[in-house]
Amino acid sequence: MRRLGGEVWFGLILLALCSAVAVLAPVLAPYDPRAFSGQPLERPSRAHPLGTNDVGQDILSELIYGARVSLTVALAAGAGTVLLGLLVGGMAGYAGGWLDQALMRLVDGMLSLPRLPLLILFATFLGSGLPQTIAVISFLFWPTTARVVRAQVQSVRQRGYVRMARQFGASHPYVFLRHILPAIGPLIAYGLVTSAGHAVAMEAGLAFLGLGDPLVKSWGLMMRFALNLPGLFLTDRWLWWLLPPALCVTLLILALALMGIGLEQNLNPRLARRWR
Amino acid sequence: MMLMVQDLRVTFPLDGKTGLRAVDGVSFDLAPGASLGIVGETGAGKTTIARALLGLHPPGCVQGSIRLDGRELVGLSEEAWRAIRWRRIALVPQSVGTALDPVYRVGDQIAEPLRYHLGLSPAEAWDRSLELARRVGLEPRHLRAYPHQLSGGEKQRALLAMALSCAPDILVLDEPTSGQDMLSRARLLDLLDALCREGGMGLLVISHDLAAVARLTERVAVLYAGQLVEVGPTAEVFQDPRHPYTWGLLHAYPDMSTARDLRGIRGAPPDPANPPPGCRFHPRCTQAIDRCRREEPPLREIGGRWIACHLGGLQTLLRAEGLRKTFFVDGGEPEERVEAVREATLDIREGEVVALVGETGSGKTTLGQMLVGLLPPNGGRVVLEGRELTAAKGKERRAMMSRIQLIPQDPFDAVSPRLTVAEMVREPLDIQAIGTPEEREAKVRQALQTVGLPTSSDFLARRAHELSGGQLQRVVLARALVLEPKLIVADEPVSMLDPSEQARVINLLKEIQTERGLALLLISHDLALVRKIADRILVMHRGQIVEEGPGNRIVTRPEHEHTRVLLEAAPRLG
Repeated sequence: MRRLGGEVWFGLILLALCSAVAVLAPVLAPYDPRAFSGQPLERPSRAHPLGTNDVGQDILSELIYGARVSLTVALAAGAGTVLLGLLVGGMAGYAGGWLDQALMRLVDGMLSLPRLPLLILFATFLGSGLPQTIAVISFLFWPTTARVVRAQVQSVRQRGYVRMARQFGASHPYVFLRHILPAIGPLIAYGLVTSAGHAVAMEAGLAFLGLGDPLVKSWGLMMRFALNLPGLFLTDRWLWWLLPPALCVTLLILALALMGIGLEQNLNPRLARRWR
Repeated sequence: MMLMVQDLRVTFPLDGKTGLRAVDGVSFDLAPGASLGIVGETGAGKTTIARALLGLHPPGCVQGSIRLDGRELVGLSEEAWRAIRWRRIALVPQSVGTALDPVYRVGDQIAEPLRYHLGLSPAEAWDRSLELARRVGLEPRHLRAYPHQLSGGEKQRALLAMALSCAPDILVLDEPTSGQDMLSRARLLDLLDALCREGGMGLLVISHDLAAVARLTERVAVLYAGQLVEVGPTAEVFQDPRHPYTWGLLHAYPDMSTARDLRGIRGAPPDPANPPPGCRFHPRCTQAIDRCRREEPPLREIGGRWIACHLGGLQTLLRAEGLRKTFFVDGGEPEERVEAVREATLDIREGEVVALVGETGSGKTTLGQMLVGLLPPNGGRVVLEGRELTAAKGKERRAMMSRIQLIPQDPFDAVSPRLTVAEMVREPLDIQAIGTPEEREAKVRQALQTVGLPTSSDFLARRAHELSGGQLQRVVLARALVLEPKLIVADEPVSMLDPSEQARVINLLKEIQTERGLALLLISHDLALVRKIADRILVMHRGQIVEEGPGNRIVTRPEHEHTRVLLEAAPRLG
């Protein structure tokens, strides 16, 4: 393993911070985010550092609990994407032949579909629970991962030691788990991080469009409620209601993206030279 | 039938109860004018048979039956034997130095049986001696000499003259050529050959000198630990040995037409006082099965040859029939295909070293990979120990895969960069689920020791990039050995190593091959290298095997155009 670059560390620290907030939410948040802890639309004060929303819930508490939603989506949808991609790409790359052809045509087909309209369509039909959101995101994003995984598996499969394992009488599952998976490990990490980033953005987008779960307050949903207030921008209220969740989403995506870039350099030494 | 030996057993008493059975159930016959060779290693019981035929063993030692023209000789009195020795059966003994009495002149000693057995007068006997001397190529002055004044070859001739003196029906030669230089040996063989042709006399040649036996006899019997293991026409047996022991014996014999290094048979002959149960050859045999350890195989006729082997003789380990492999250039026209292997047929016998030579691109590696089951052929089949490898699946495939191992050209590609040495070598055992973790560990250490690598925990924990090419190739070799395969296919195993390391690894490979009795298919472009160790060479050209034959024949008298090209190109210093 090459040494991890500065951007990876920066991303990791941001992510760790975000995770800490999510885990420690009950401790950190001054109020229950659902409780009507103050008057509607209070300005920031000692009691409510970021004020309250239009129904009198503490915005800081909402923000802190929102981290949980975003991270859950990031992790679950990221893992879902990678798992599907690994399954399809791994199978195609390892088996080769007609199966490879069939699966790759499927991937091509999926990639040619416009994602956002499809996302909206699915979200509308499947309902707006958090699991549905996660499933829809995973379903739409696996083909990219599958392609990358397939290419890598194809190359690893031809390595002598992988073929030799077959020579010792190994079954295909053994070869795949023992040799191919470790060999594409870094790729999986990269795929996980990048698709988690995508997932966060997608979830925020869906929530923002009102297609998320209205009961699970994610950062995207907070933004939507803020923007629903007529004349939000007439006062400086957007500074503490709209901007914090937007910043949080941005920072989380940035963290994941930076880690992705760092890992990609690790996978591809040629990129590293250009970046550093 | 003149001489019929049936179930001959010779036992020497060791102490009160047990005996040492030097010859155990040997049967053969000899027609008038026929010749038979008995070959075998020292201690196999060859001389014991010769002495039994002349009644030279103490009474009671010999059982079974020796019939001369129908008359039973076993159990005859010393008196009766005297009438048979010299006149009917004569022996030229092995130890030339002690067979002649040093205080009598040679001529008198030749004349003595004439006078004693035929009752000739001294003058008649001397005349006959002169004639006999002339026949065996001695001059009159030799007859007047004392034994110590003669050379070994001349003494041998004198003994031969003595044996011939009474015109015996059967002449037994015990190691006729031992201790003689090549030139006198050649002259002696010419002489014996001429004598046999004169007709009538049955000839029994007992020798470990295979060339002498090949020259003098029509039929040959191979003796191992007091038992016959193969009997057949001499030329056929030597050309195409069927019993594993005969095969090994022939490969241990130095021959001017052999370029290969000599190879011994692994192990040592058994102690005659305590022979192994079952087939006596099984501890040294490369193809022994359970039955060989329990049951003694009878000598039975198989395809015109008498063989004592449960398996019917040397087994074909791996057989490939009409193997084809065509690679299609991706997205290319149908014409753009590469016929890497076209109708390749070959077989590899147990314990054999076969070399597959050919230039780059001749399809050697593709063929090798199909043989070990790494690459599915487009046509044809591979049969390993009677079972089709190309069709095997699941558990059966797993079991078959443990019998055959590949050593690829590039050791760096052959091991995972993520595994330690211990993990690499242990992997086949893990896959085949053999033994407990401790047993696997022990096998790994043993395999590493076999290939001359350290077994320290520091070394075991190293990874591929911390090893040299030679070390890594040895690790790959150790990994191939842990499953105790029957066949190793080595694809240019040393081509990436420096010359000195090449020599070491090749010698190691050869040593392990002999020691473990495994078959080796050596794929190489280097004729100069393979001829040192290969029993047989296959020449491959453009996807086909164009020539096949014993290593020496291929190197000295190549038949195919392409073989000559390869020979021309072989490296020469100076």
